[in-house]
Amino acid sequence: MMAVLQSRADFDAIVVGSGMTGGWAAKELTELGLRTLVLEAGRPIVPERDYVEHTPPWEMPFRGLGDRRATLARQSTQRNSVSFDELSHVFWTDDVDNPYSTPADRPFHWFRARQVGGKSIIWGRQVYRWSDLDFEANQRDGVAVDWTIRYADLAPWYDHVERFIGVSGQIEGLAHLPDGQFLPPMDLNCVERHVRERMRERFGRERILTIGRVANLTTTHNGRAACHYCGPCHRGCITRSYFSSVNATLPAARATGRLTLRPYSIVRGLVYDSSRNRITGVRIVDAQTKAEREYTGRIVFLCASALESARILLNSRVGNSSDQVGRNIMDHIKWGGATGQFDGWSDRREIGDRPNGIYVPRFRNVSSRHSGFIRGYGFQGAADRPGWRSALRAPGIGAAFKQRLNDLGPWSMSFWGFGEMLPSADNRATIHPTLVDKWGIPSLHIDCRWGENDLAIHRDMNVTAAELLEAAGATNIDHPNGPSTPGGTNHEMGTARMGRDPKTSVLNSWNQAWDVPNLFVTDGAAMTSSGCQNPSLTYMALTARACHHAVDLLKRKEL
Amino acid sequence: MERRELIQWLVATAGLPWLESLAPHDLLALGRDVHRRGATGRALGAHALQTVTLAAERIIPATDTPGATDAGVGAFIDKMLADWHTPAERDRFLAGLPELDARCRARAGKDFVDCAAADQVAVLTALDDEARSATSREHWFARLKYLTVYGYCTSEPGMRALGLFPVPWRYDGCAPVTR
Repeated sequence: MMAVLQSRADFDAIVVGSGMTGGWAAKELTELGLRTLVLEAGRPIVPERDYVEHTPPWEMPFRGLGDRRATLARQSTQRNSVSFDELSHVFWTDDVDNPYSTPADRPFHWFRARQVGGKSIIWGRQVYRWSDLDFEANQRDGVAVDWTIRYADLAPWYDHVERFIGVSGQIEGLAHLPDGQFLPPMDLNCVERHVRERMRERFGRERILTIGRVANLTTTHNGRAACHYCGPCHRGCITRSYFSSVNATLPAARATGRLTLRPYSIVRGLVYDSSRNRITGVRIVDAQTKAEREYTGRIVFLCASALESARILLNSRVGNSSDQVGRNIMDHIKWGGATGQFDGWSDRREIGDRPNGIYVPRFRNVSSRHSGFIRGYGFQGAADRPGWRSALRAPGIGAAFKQRLNDLGPWSMSFWGFGEMLPSADNRATIHPTLVDKWGIPSLHIDCRWGENDLAIHRDMNVTAAELLEAAGATNIDHPNGPSTPGGTNHEMGTARMGRDPKTSVLNSWNQAWDVPNLFVTDGAAMTSSGCQNPSLTYMALTARACHHAVDLLKRKEL
Repeated sequence: MERRELIQWLVATAGLPWLESLAPHDLLALGRDVHRRGATGRALGAHALQTVTLAAERIIPATDTPGATDAGVGAFIDKMLADWHTPAERDRFLAGLPELDARCRARAGKDFVDCAAADQVAVLTALDDEARSATSREHWFARLKYLTVYGYCTSEPGMRALGLFPVPWRYDGCAPVTR
């Protein structure tokens, strides 16, 4: 297919990372004919052995409460992730082996996953397109640098990705949250339907409630089975019903016969040939033996996650003539919102565990301007009944108390905001002068804090979530404790941004390093602003687009 | 109790000389009795484990569905105290637990496990009220109750009794409540 690719290199392409974006790079590059090496820092994953979503609580030593002592000793940061639990903890790194530092008064949660599949095994699976409201935002507001692409550039790649991964969702016809290639939506429950209707009466089309757009299948799709609503997706999925690289992109890449996947391969650095201004390969240390070796390749894709890719670039001392690598760290600010109780529907319940909630698309600074902040936020949330957990601290003993365990408790509904964070050059990761990981690779020092605009967004979430609940007739409205710790939403991004000017950005419009043409960075590092949407879909679309461009350049012998 | 353990116990208690005289079913009964009276947990001694197990059963008794004993709640609480709680949390619990015996002795002149069911229930009910009105630190009894409910509702008998297992393998967001 690609006889044009004559090469003395070990591989046509080397992809660093096997998760959300690495899996996509592997799939696209191998399908386009490239012999591709994927380097993964962690262990291999065998679904039949490693997926444990159907393990019942009584087979866990701590019944789902986790090995508290081991967790505090070895995963004191990772445990803060919302999907970290007694079984899924094996999908996060060991914090002792993989240290990083922050200023004492500015904590940052860096959630890291080292195994084949990376964080695509444990992600929240919410997928929302961006629109030009997002791509034009920096230019409109005079913030940071402009995106070099617009929605029209990415729309076909959103289609491409959604068709492959499978996204269930409801068409809503919103210009600023474009509809996608949806499988049938999951159902709203009784109370969510009620709230949707009340919001429609009160807010019309300005604030709508829709079912979450989620990379869980509602029909058989590309040989993968529909979701069976068992609940804990973050422990794996033996039926491959949600998208992860292990479940979908890596098998597709393997099917080409051109994929070589090497687990336990921690990248120490990129090998740079200054005479040709090319990356000639990647130097790795074997995680188990600590032996080092190099692999050569014609092009290199960094898909190691935003901060890890920045770390590799900084440790390699390449790609950073702009001094923007490691800067502009963004996350989404959360733990603003509200919870309220609903009387009624006591004769109704949910059956099954829907791995998805509701979504309220951004409504601030869409058709009007808010006086207190720029950008906006969306709400995720759900309505449910607490079940037996409400009896944990309830009064009584004996047969009557036992009967109470069957009470499902009142319905309540929560809205949790996910707010856009503005880029700031001062939110920055640098190489720590002395701290190294277990393999002797210099670690990051991460200095990141919320800005005033971010915090104003967070305060507004509490106000408007209460408005939504009041409109729907909720009582006992309560607010979460916030804001979240930066990094805590696991949407870190921005550390090697795209832009028009090599002096102020790291990557061009094709995720290609300005400084070194055969180097591409396609994970969250490439993001020029953060939007408020969950970002993985955009990372995947950017990756697929960059892969096709890179192969075009190879075909034209421009690389 | 494993046969090996039974023999160890008999050796340790010099029981071997009269072992020959027991019929097989007597031997089995002995083994069960040894198990019941001699079992110790890792955090809880034999008496404390028996006390916790019985208190849990009074909180969630066997009715037409299994109770806390059937659900193995005593062993779960022992496991949590030994391997999950901090030493300070465990010590607070262990310091509070003898209150069950003290109150039963004051009331009926016997340890908790030996007093009448009505006395046990009265003592537990009083502690339950006190635990909920305690304002400062968590009352030791609140922890016992929490672990009892949690242990029961995450056990196989408990989850089956509550209709939480097996899982339904489908989603209905507005199903009628039938139980």
